[in-house]
Amino acid sequence: MSEAAIRASGLGRAFDDRWAVRDLDLAVAPGEIYGFLGQNGAGKTTTLRMFAGLLRPSAGELRIDGLTHADAGRALRRRIGFLPDTPPLHDYLTARQHLALVASLWGVPRRERDERGDRLFDALGIAGQADALCKAASHGTRKKIHLAAVLATAPSVLLLDEPTSGLDPLAVRQLKDLLGEQARAGATVFLSTHGLELAEQVCHRIGILAGGRLRAEGTAAELRAQHGDASLEDVFLAVTAAAR
Amino acid sequence: MNLLLADVRALAGLPRTAAGRRVLAASGGGLLLLGLLSWWFANALLDQPGLVVALHDASDGRSQAALCAHALTACPMVAAWLGLALAQRTLFEAPELALWRLAPLPPWRPALQALLRAGFAATLWALAIAGPGLVAVLRRGPAPAWAYALTPLAVVAATLPTLAASLAAQLLIVRFLAGRWLRLLLVVFAAAGSIGFSTWLMLALFGKPHDHARDVVAFAAGERATPWSVGPAAALLAAAARGELDLRALRDLALWLLATFAGFRLVSRAHPAACERHLAAELPAWRRGGGRWPAGLAANVLRKEFAQVAQQPGALVGFLVFAVLVFAMCQRRVLVAGVLAAPSLPADVAAFAALLAWWFLAVLLVLYAHMGRIAQWDGPQWALWQCAPAAPGAILRGKMLAVLALLGWPLLLVAFAGVAVLDARADVVLAYAATALGGSGMALGVLTIVGTIPVLVRHDGDGGSLQGGKGLVAALLLVVGMQVAALPALYAWHRLGEHAADHGLALDDAWRAAPAVIGAALAYGAAWCGLGWLVGSWNFARLLRPR
Repeated sequence: MSEAAIRASGLGRAFDDRWAVRDLDLAVAPGEIYGFLGQNGAGKTTTLRMFAGLLRPSAGELRIDGLTHADAGRALRRRIGFLPDTPPLHDYLTARQHLALVASLWGVPRRERDERGDRLFDALGIAGQADALCKAASHGTRKKIHLAAVLATAPSVLLLDEPTSGLDPLAVRQLKDLLGEQARAGATVFLSTHGLELAEQVCHRIGILAGGRLRAEGTAAELRAQHGDASLEDVFLAVTAAAR
Repeated sequence: MNLLLADVRALAGLPRTAAGRRVLAASGGGLLLLGLLSWWFANALLDQPGLVVALHDASDGRSQAALCAHALTACPMVAAWLGLALAQRTLFEAPELALWRLAPLPPWRPALQALLRAGFAATLWALAIAGPGLVAVLRRGPAPAWAYALTPLAVVAATLPTLAASLAAQLLIVRFLAGRWLRLLLVVFAAAGSIGFSTWLMLALFGKPHDHARDVVAFAAGERATPWSVGPAAALLAAAARGELDLRALRDLALWLLATFAGFRLVSRAHPAACERHLAAELPAWRRGGGRWPAGLAANVLRKEFAQVAQQPGALVGFLVFAVLVFAMCQRRVLVAGVLAAPSLPADVAAFAALLAWWFLAVLLVLYAHMGRIAQWDGPQWALWQCAPAAPGAILRGKMLAVLALLGWPLLLVAFAGVAVLDARADVVLAYAATALGGSGMALGVLTIVGTIPVLVRHDGDGGSLQGGKGLVAALLLVVGMQVAALPALYAWHRLGEHAADHGLALDDAWRAAPAVIGAALAYGAAWCGLGWLVGSWNFARLLRPR
């Protein structure tokens, strides 16, 4: 069996003695798109922040591309691209300048940066806003700007926190195409979402988190089959209700 | 009333969370520190020999009223500062404003809430600065216990009218004259208010007590006008210090407050229209592309810091306002009148020293703002730095380069002022510039060390920016750090003064020593810079670690 791109074993994180995520076991293969579903406060963002190296796990072990954050540090961060729900943009930089800054932090050469930047701005439909200050961008556009910057670093593991929130239907479609393209190129995509349709259409496998624990996992078809061919929405409601 | 209750509940809820407790401790700690400094300063002032007698003569026996009025002048200063610096954000950009405007509230209510919020902040600041001075005057009264209870009322009454007037004036101006130029003009006012207040506070708290004693006497003699909002509060406290309750002053004070709220409520009816006009006057968002940006990390971070100044109208305007302030300071020969008049010093040496003194003061004024560029202002972007695979030292190097370049602005301004105001010779200005370059290295080292201390600059959770007292502690630490770092220069100046007084100082001797002085300054600056980078890199790495 090939090495998993993301492998969590008994992973947990507590805040002030309260567990946000507990006993999380999962493995995501290279080139796979994994969708993480859960109600608000289920622990999705905490999990993603642990994967990104922003939070230290309180329990368990996490390996990304076979490496741990504690041991590999910068070498591991170089492989990861993280799109938080609130994109970390500088209001008084333009989209192009923000992309240049992010690319410099990841050591992307100038020529590649410019080529990738132009292509990604086009693919995400924001080429016309590349020279406007981020301050003026809407929430959805801010997400697209930072996604373009993250993808310009060519990460092998892409972590996306609610990537479709604030996006219009066209932008969601563009995002789906981009994610498929990334996965086909070998990148692992791990995304949290409330969009069941997105999860069903794009993700190879889906995990449902409730109360900080992984309650169900499988392909959309497997999950539906386990619940008498119900819709994914019904599966989600049944799994989260059982966890209460 | 519901809005007020919501704010009170939010404040009361702060101790329930760890982040809230940190905010409370930081804000309270900072204001307490400011209060302690004010207390120390007030007692040092009151202990000046002959002050009370001189005041008694100058004020026709109303020395306590003069002292109270002098202490209370801090209140309109604070109010004017916050009124100018925070008006746009408070009145037109508060996060809850959209909710307040959508709610079925009277049209004036959101603006009044903005005034109450700003009034609360202004009162806390005014209490920290003016309160200790007032208490010191009352203690020497000696005043009865109930007199102390009047102090907060006096501070509120001396603060709110100016604050309300400032907010109301801006609200009306935006309502009737809104446009991009006006928005820029208000940004200029905000920058002028912030820089002016910082200068005033620094001169007030770190000045010499006997200079302030002279000011107080001049103030009591009526050479300087008492601010209009201070009179009733000063009369009330002066009477209270004698154990009397001045009912007339109390009535005047209540009338002032009532008139303030009534007047502001009247003006507040224009708030909804002013909000719309403010939004419509949004400044253009298009800028030059970043295609030509370098790929290297330090160069990119440097470019980013510069772009954030050049592309942000407020920041750019702040630099221009600062230039005006520096020229005004030099024109009035602030701090250096004694040096320039010293008979034992050659004119060139005196001009050199004056330029350095002005540079030091000018740098102190911008140091806190530049310190923010190191870590504090990147709160919302902190996740980006944390996720990045770049070495912390490399990121810090880019930020330090940017700050060093920006520190060239006060250096240049003072050099120009030296030529314009002192008519200093070119070689004197060059000698100053080289020495001040070393000083800039020293300043950079100090601000990097202070600006990366985790307990002072660490962001909470997702990077909410740090406000209030924590920043104040950092600012005070910066000022003290700069003074400590400059001690060798002060000592050398002191020894030179003694030598000049005892044996005289020939200009030729001074010029012969110039290369050594400049070399020592550059070496000292480089040493501080290196130390700052070493300590800063270590701290920066700690700040970037996962939590």
